Amino acid sequence: MIFLFLTSGLFLGWTLGANDAANVFGSAVGSRMVSFTRAAVTASIFVILGAVLQGSGASETLSRLGSVNAMGGAFTVALAAALTVFSMTRAGLPVSTTQAIVGAIIGWNFFTNNAVDTRSLTQIVSTWITGPVLGAIFAYVLYHLVKITRRKIRIHLLGYESWLRVGLMIVGAFGAYSLGANNIANVMGVFVPSIPLETVDFGIFTMTGAQQLFFLGAIAIAAGVLTYSRKVMETVGNSLLELSSEAAFVVVLSQALVLFIFSSASLSGFMVRLGLPPIPLVPVSSTQVVVGAVLGIGLYKGIRNINLKMLGSIASGWITTPVAAGLLTFILLFFVKNLFGIDVGQSVNPPAETGDGVSTAMIIRYSIPVLLLITAVYLIYLVLAEKKKTERLNKRYYE
Amino acid sequence: MSLFTRSTKEIAFRIDEFFDTIEIGILIFKEGIKAYVRGDSNAFQNHLSKIDDLEGKADRLQRSIENDMIVHSILPQQRSEMVKLLWQLDEIIDTAKKSLNEFYVEKPHVPASLAQEFISLAEVSGNSAEELIPAARAFFREPHLVREKLIKVYFFERETDKAAFQMKKKVFHEMHDLSLAEKAHIRYITHHIENISDSAQAAADLLASMAIRQML
Repeated sequence: MIFLFLTSGLFLGWTLGANDAANVFGSAVGSRMVSFTRAAVTASIFVILGAVLQGSGASETLSRLGSVNAMGGAFTVALAAALTVFSMTRAGLPVSTTQAIVGAIIGWNFFTNNAVDTRSLTQIVSTWITGPVLGAIFAYVLYHLVKITRRKIRIHLLGYESWLRVGLMIVGAFGAYSLGANNIANVMGVFVPSIPLETVDFGIFTMTGAQQLFFLGAIAIAAGVLTYSRKVMETVGNSLLELSSEAAFVVVLSQALVLFIFSSASLSGFMVRLGLPPIPLVPVSSTQVVVGAVLGIGLYKGIRNINLKMLGSIASGWITTPVAAGLLTFILLFFVKNLFGIDVGQSVNPPAETGDGVSTAMIIRYSIPVLLLITAVYLIYLVLAEKKKTERLNKRYYE
Repeated sequence: MSLFTRSTKEIAFRIDEFFDTIEIGILIFKEGIKAYVRGDSNAFQNHLSKIDDLEGKADRLQRSIENDMIVHSILPQQRSEMVKLLWQLDEIIDTAKKSLNEFYVEKPHVPASLAQEFISLAEVSGNSAEELIPAARAFFREPHLVREKLIKVYFFERETDKAAFQMKKKVFHEMHDLSLAEKAHIRYITHHIENISDSAQAAADLLASMAIRQML
């Protein structure tokens, strides 16, 4: 029975593996720097390791956002997220598994009359912006360092390419590990509160209930990587990121670093020990971080290389995906509960009449205009910079 | 991984050997023209035989580099451009060999008053190709230096055009003692010598765009 309820999560894991592995190894496989078999096997192994060893942090944040306390509810939430991702991908719309699962959990909260934990929501929403921004910053700095190093060491192009090939495998493995650690929460996070499994002792190591669920989810991700990601890596992966091998190396490394930062409890603890605020352990959209990293490289190469459509796709995904997933979850929960009579969860934390109860509305009221304002300011800056550059080029040309 | 590194090193070594072959071929070409114009047939024969060997070696190296790049999946993103560059460089030594062969087969009459012009034309045309080789070598280690190295290629190509134009003008406007067939033959041979710098320019254009892409 548990396995039946888990199928929606496993399906979500499979779609994540099929699509998001391209963010890690897409450009390397698309450019034939790394063979698909080697990439898929490496990605599968490291996704599982990341999920089992480091997947709990981001999952706890998702559980705080909405502790889905019935298997039927968890099944429906994961199914709604998977369907949202699937249908939006088919429609060619920008979509993220992370944003879909967050929208679906909020949909469950509304349906079961549970309050949304505003602190967790704020943390999650803030990483939707900081994730791609950090990706862009990392990519800009790393690309600069790579270029300087190459110029200084005067390495032969062929030797450089062979080092990059090794580097792509290493950062790909790191990227897959971080993907597993960060995104396993999207796949199995909602099942953790409703499926309390006992800790299993294997003699040399033990596996908690959550880790067992993460292992299953990671197997589903690995299955997605091995069975369906080839097409995505060789087509979408390459067309989305038509990058040189060194740019691909930087993009994958930046993405891996961002995902690692938002899933490492030790790093967060280290920040606290230094007297700094803790790093929120939140699932981040790997695709959006990759897009941010590509933009970072575009910024390095000059403002003309920036594709404004990419920025638009990130911003629109912040709103459309969670809203679509939330609405779908609400509708599906209604049918699952009333048509099939399956328990989808109880209200354990009803929203208060005042104070925290209105916080969701408050967040939406304040965060969306702030997001739009930041995007607008950035777009204005880009347009002005572009105009200035055009004027400068025209001036030089006519002189 | 060790196998991969070895094959990469081997290809890098063969690319250098290919450049050496082209470079020596150009020097031989220049010396061959000088020998022909001075009437030293033994030296000319010797140079002709050498350039024939070098051209064959360049062809073999070109094919083996292309083949190994595909087999070991080396430079997958720049492979088509690399193949084109190797082909374009090989075209230079091919043209040089063809030119010397034409001198051998057709035995064009080079009047004494044109001897220096012929030697100068072969010199500047050869210089254009010669200057391409350091730029091609720089592409693999210091792509940011390629552009400044190519300036000399373009300079010598323009000088070749000017020298060829002056020579043809002199033949057709001033050398009335030559028959039309002799004039046409000189023009034809001149055109072949010019082709070397034209090939160098085509390779330089390709190299410049490849270097820019490397630097971005």
